[in-house]
Amino acid sequence: MDLTRRQLMWAGGALGATALLAACGGGSDDEPAGSAGGGSEKPRRGGTLRVGALGRAGAVTRDPHGTQSNESDYLVLSLVYDTLTVPGAKPNTEPRLAASWQPSADLRTWKFKIAQGATFHDGSPVTAKDVVFSLKRLRATPSGASRLPGIQAKNITAEGDATVVLVSDYANAELPLLTRLTTFVIPDGTTDKDIAKAPGTGPFKLDWYRSGNARLVRNEKWYGGDVHLDAIEVKIFENPQAMANALLAGQIDLASNVGAIAARTAASRKDVQTVRRPNDMAMPIVMRTAGGPFADPRVREALRLAVDREAMVKQVLSGYGTVANDILGTGDPAYDRSVPQRTRDLARAKKLLSEAGFDTSKTYELRTTEDISGLAESATLFATQVREAGVKVKVVKQESATFWDKTWLKGDLYTTYWGTNDSVVFFASKTMVSSSATNEAGWKSTEFDTAYQKAIGTADEARRAQLLKKLQQIEYEGSGYLLWGMADGIDLAGPKVRGLPTLPGYGRVQLEGAWLTS
Amino acid sequence: MPALVLAQVLKRTALLAVLLALVFVTVELLPGDAADVTSERGESAADLARRRALLGLDRPVPERFWDWMTGLPTGDLGTSARGEKVTDLLSSAFPNTLLLGGIALALTAALSLTLGCWAALRPGGRLDRAVSGTATAVLALPEFVVAVALVLVLSLWTGWLPAVTLTGADGSPASWDMLVLPALALTVPQVGWNTRIVRAALADEARAPHVETAVLDGLPPHRVLTHHVLPGALPTIAAGLATSTGMLLGGAVVVETIFNYPGVGSVLASAVTDRDSPVIAGVTALTGAVITVVLLLADLVRDLVTGGER
Repeated sequence: MDLTRRQLMWAGGALGATALLAACGGGSDDEPAGSAGGGSEKPRRGGTLRVGALGRAGAVTRDPHGTQSNESDYLVLSLVYDTLTVPGAKPNTEPRLAASWQPSADLRTWKFKIAQGATFHDGSPVTAKDVVFSLKRLRATPSGASRLPGIQAKNITAEGDATVVLVSDYANAELPLLTRLTTFVIPDGTTDKDIAKAPGTGPFKLDWYRSGNARLVRNEKWYGGDVHLDAIEVKIFENPQAMANALLAGQIDLASNVGAIAARTAASRKDVQTVRRPNDMAMPIVMRTAGGPFADPRVREALRLAVDREAMVKQVLSGYGTVANDILGTGDPAYDRSVPQRTRDLARAKKLLSEAGFDTSKTYELRTTEDISGLAESATLFATQVREAGVKVKVVKQESATFWDKTWLKGDLYTTYWGTNDSVVFFASKTMVSSSATNEAGWKSTEFDTAYQKAIGTADEARRAQLLKKLQQIEYEGSGYLLWGMADGIDLAGPKVRGLPTLPGYGRVQLEGAWLTS
Repeated sequence: MPALVLAQVLKRTALLAVLLALVFVTVELLPGDAADVTSERGESAADLARRRALLGLDRPVPERFWDWMTGLPTGDLGTSARGEKVTDLLSSAFPNTLLLGGIALALTAALSLTLGCWAALRPGGRLDRAVSGTATAVLALPEFVVAVALVLVLSLWTGWLPAVTLTGADGSPASWDMLVLPALALTVPQVGWNTRIVRAALADEARAPHVETAVLDGLPPHRVLTHHVLPGALPTIAAGLATSTGMLLGGAVVVETIFNYPGVGSVLASAVTDRDSPVIAGVTALTGAVITVVLLLADLVRDLVTGGER
């Protein structure tokens, strides 16, 4: 789930409407003073929260282990069902259905203890058997191997009623992180036919579901703590601007992940709260390292120096984001902030290009899509900026399926995006280790591979932190990524909403703590 | 005449079947397939092959098309790439679109007839010129512009109507007033188009000899219009409205997105990006059937009026 390739597709659509409405929305950029994210008030019990979430009507799914490209579906699923662990800020993995976990000395065997008092919505207790069944079911899907990497189905077992044992093929210090997003637990023996009716264990129970819309009511017996809201109504929206309009017209209370353009539209409305969730989306530019014009590390370094990161954040993200430093995993507590920030240096960029013998008479294609809002714009601005360093770049917009089929993993220069708040190690394993199937730049560095293997195989925290720093240093110096910034996740909320999540990525679904003032 | 109707039905049904075959072939020709689209980054080639097999995409297109077509008479429209029944996806979406399209068509017919006749009563008069001019301007407006303007004025600024449609537990719009803006957004451009047609058809018919006789007999203008001009102009007007049906359904894709209206437009749009042939074919079959029926009705009107001589 965390790596769904088409998520946020809708965000690219209907930009015309968006632009027109944004133009009419007034130019005020000041933020309404909101306390949606936190505050010290005492939560009030009661009320129904109406949430708009993005999704496409033809792509709905009810299967907790299916391909959920709709945020609306994922929201419903994660309020009804529980995963073993959930995303957190620091640490980045927090307990949920698994109350605690313990690795073996070699970091291959992990034992998860099921939370006490956890029951399904039909009243039956959650046992290790249910968890094993659910994980095996997840593992058996075509995405199973990428969702639970290194964990074979036969190595998912129960130990007594309350302990689940996962054995990894290799040492993995961050194994619990893998169980954060789609390890939804359903009762043992649930058939595919009855999947939509399977009771969950989550903070809310399903009242009804229809075409992507749902009503959920409070689970009075949730083991995870107090749930304040009586009910949550999830409304599916294909278009972020329609969702913003619904919020502005008071038809919904929360527009989840509605985006920067909507936030600008709403900026002049004092009764609308803007919730910014930093480090939500990475939109790096991929430069092929395995061959082609960008294989020379000096050329890649030159492009990293030619980009004006501040301007990118300001213009592409409307300022709703932060400058990044070419290292993926900015939301990770292990992210190394001591690495010096790369800034624009056109003179050095030009020098490096000439040293590398880069052919500046040629025009290079930068391929992009409109899958997510801002992506194509980032390519266009990048092309303008690097021209000042003498590099001629022509932006080629491809239709989504064409891009993923023809350009992704193969192109010399293209934009990509990762809508997660994953760790440095997770990004490394997915995108930079030479054996990865999704090594987007074709990067092969034995030094990096060795550092990675050591980092995931080291239990000692201090030693591991050192290794992670080393990993990030190599990535900073040589990888095929140019990560100019990180987009904030942006939610809009009505004046009464409190206790909203501020985590990036899938942390946005954690609405069990939300409440409404009277 | 019944034989004639039957022949028409058969011809149009065959046409629809050809169209559905085209859907399957076209989706096949597009880059990427449903397995690619529903896969997740990190899936290996073997995972992808398994997904392809699960979705039946490893079989040749004619076979998949035949399978889908043979399910059609039993009401089985197949399964989406994400494992949902296509009939479930369309069970509330299609009636919703029909409702919206039906309202828009009725409004279009009523408004364009009224305006067209009104203008035709005094050809060349100030009113005629005003109506014809406005109609031309309005018909050039895309639904999208009309929709955005309507939301701004009638909802966000005045607060009179809901900005978007929210869906209730039964899958239809949660309240009736949510239908107003989408229906208007669809109707306005079509009224422009049809008023022009009504006006032109009436002008043509007004030159017919029997109308001239009626006028010379001293009948009042409105009686000449309703009893002598309008009947002869009806086939053209009906054909214009029938054409509008197609355009209304096409416009619905845009309008449904802007108003978040739970219709087939959004289902179709996402199915195309997903290369989801059964869903695209399902939408095509249903909308195709509706358009076929409307065109047949228009033909019938023509035959009734002209006595089937054409």
